[in-house]
Amino acid sequence: MKHIAYLFLAALLIFSSCSEDEIPAQMAVEINFENTLNGNPLQLNGGSFTLPSGEQFTAKKLKYYISNVVLTDTKSGAIYTVPDSYHLIGQDINTKVDLGMIPSAGYDQITFSIGVDAEANAKTDQTGDLDPNNDMAWNWNSGYKFVVLEGEFTHKVTGERTGLILHIGRNQNYKTVTQSISGIKAGRSSSITLQTVVDQLFLDPNPLKVSELPSTTIMGGDLADKIGQNYANGFVKIK
Amino acid sequence: MISPNRVTGGLLWLVLLISCGEKVDPVAMGPTLISLEKPEYFPAQQAMPADNPLTEEGVRLGRMLFYEKKLSKDGTISCASCHQQEKGFSDGRQFSPGVNGAKGTMNSMSLANLHWQTRFFWNGRAATLEEQAIIPIEDPLEMNLSIQEAVNRLQSDAKYPTLFKEAFGSEQITSDQIGKALAQFERTLISANSKFDRWIRGEVQLTAEEELGLELFFTHPEPSIQLRGGNCGDCHLGFLTSGDPNGFTGFHNNGLDADATLKDGLKSVTGNPFDKGKFKAPGLRNIALTAPYMHDGRFTTLEEVLDHYNEHIQNSETLDVLILEASNEFLDPNQPVKLMLSDSEKKAIIAFLHTLTDQEFVTNPKFSNPFN
Repeated sequence: MKHIAYLFLAALLIFSSCSEDEIPAQMAVEINFENTLNGNPLQLNGGSFTLPSGEQFTAKKLKYYISNVVLTDTKSGAIYTVPDSYHLIGQDINTKVDLGMIPSAGYDQITFSIGVDAEANAKTDQTGDLDPNNDMAWNWNSGYKFVVLEGEFTHKVTGERTGLILHIGRNQNYKTVTQSISGIKAGRSSSITLQTVVDQLFLDPNPLKVSELPSTTIMGGDLADKIGQNYANGFVKIK
Repeated sequence: MISPNRVTGGLLWLVLLISCGEKVDPVAMGPTLISLEKPEYFPAQQAMPADNPLTEEGVRLGRMLFYEKKLSKDGTISCASCHQQEKGFSDGRQFSPGVNGAKGTMNSMSLANLHWQTRFFWNGRAATLEEQAIIPIEDPLEMNLSIQEAVNRLQSDAKYPTLFKEAFGSEQITSDQIGKALAQFERTLISANSKFDRWIRGEVQLTAEEELGLELFFTHPEPSIQLRGGNCGDCHLGFLTSGDPNGFTGFHNNGLDADATLKDGLKSVTGNPFDKGKFKAPGLRNIALTAPYMHDGRFTTLEEVLDHYNEHIQNSETLDVLILEASNEFLDPNQPVKLMLSDSEKKAIIAFLHTLTDQEFVTNPKFSNPFN
């Protein structure tokens, strides 16, 4: 009998904490990524796309790391730092980061990084999205590719089908982005949509003309760092 | 290898039955769930199919079916005829003989670490191991037995109805269960004790040549930053050295043929012209034991394979861009694709490939013929 009384009490408590004016302590939040090229949804192995320098382009692979996501409510000062935040986003592989239930707040700012931080980048013996088997480790002991774009284009000079291989990594190309977000209400389950603009890899501040490159495989050196500068701004942004 | 984990329902039955003072019927307890014992550096995420959990009884049955010659029309061959343990579960032939002297058109694939692969056959036509496992039974060039006849033969066999009951709960055998049992056995074929594995675990050193080979294997070359690479790891990923498990991304045109003679490959499954000439990038575990090589077994030695990738790539409309753009030297774009490895670099890669041989795997009695 005593147990039933406790149960009743518990039920009462639960119901009273859910009255309409109260904001639940937790809210579900997910982040969705939309990969685009030429203002249209990116397609692999098809579609009709051009690179910013004008060449016809077919994408084969797009993968990148988003890491260390932080949500801030600038009005209340509430900050939520996503734990163990390394997310491999890839066209046709994964375009969602589910944060699960997080503390309620009217988050109006998101901070995240493109790539993985120096600490995680120094070791590859990690699991989950940092599993070195997932095609993003450079090697067995030398860190991660941060942004991978592979595809083929028609070369302006030779007219030949030419491969374009961008594998960008290294600590100097770890870039942190902060953006304002709107529409999130404390206590309501919310979805944040980020748009990834592939064109931006080739645009500002370092315009890239692929048919003029000595090599269309870019995996390191100055050119890779220039692409790192390009993806620091406007590559992944609030839709 | 296996960690027993009784089904809760089974436990309940046990308690009930014991408390009633009756004899325990092992079948009523259901099969014993087991889990794959894998090294921690293999991917962790890959889930077991919900409708085919791994069980002790299922694996035992699958092993018998794998070696069961009744599953071929004239009773002369089993799965193990073309997948021989001592050859890394391949058969050493360019094309495998089926019943009545029929000859296949594809090289028998080696088997290892299949739980981490997602598309099967060289052209990817089976989406699951369960689906794959029964196709060769019916293939006229292989075992050439209708699946209904296979079911009938097992059903009228003295031992199989009981074995199916223990694994799947009923003596009534179905074709689905044949595929499930075979898939369960195949999942236990884990090769993780090669010299490469022992090196990963810090138990042994590689020779300088093997280590150079390892480095080259996993590196895509970029001459502008003096990075030399053999370009293998672009398709043979990570510690498994098998293809990308996402969709069809593990299928590639690796430059065996020019457009005029390019076979359909993956295109025969997807219908997509971009997929013409693409074949599955197989896992390379035990590769030194699994000659000949390529989907059509055209190369008899690893030296020929390395020569192919280094000097004889045939360009075509679907040649993988990672091969098209890979060279260790700056090349005139009008020249043929060439990787430009040195002879000693090629030898080093072959030395590394030999570290993928797992003697324990190819002699493990758990995988051997249970009828011997």
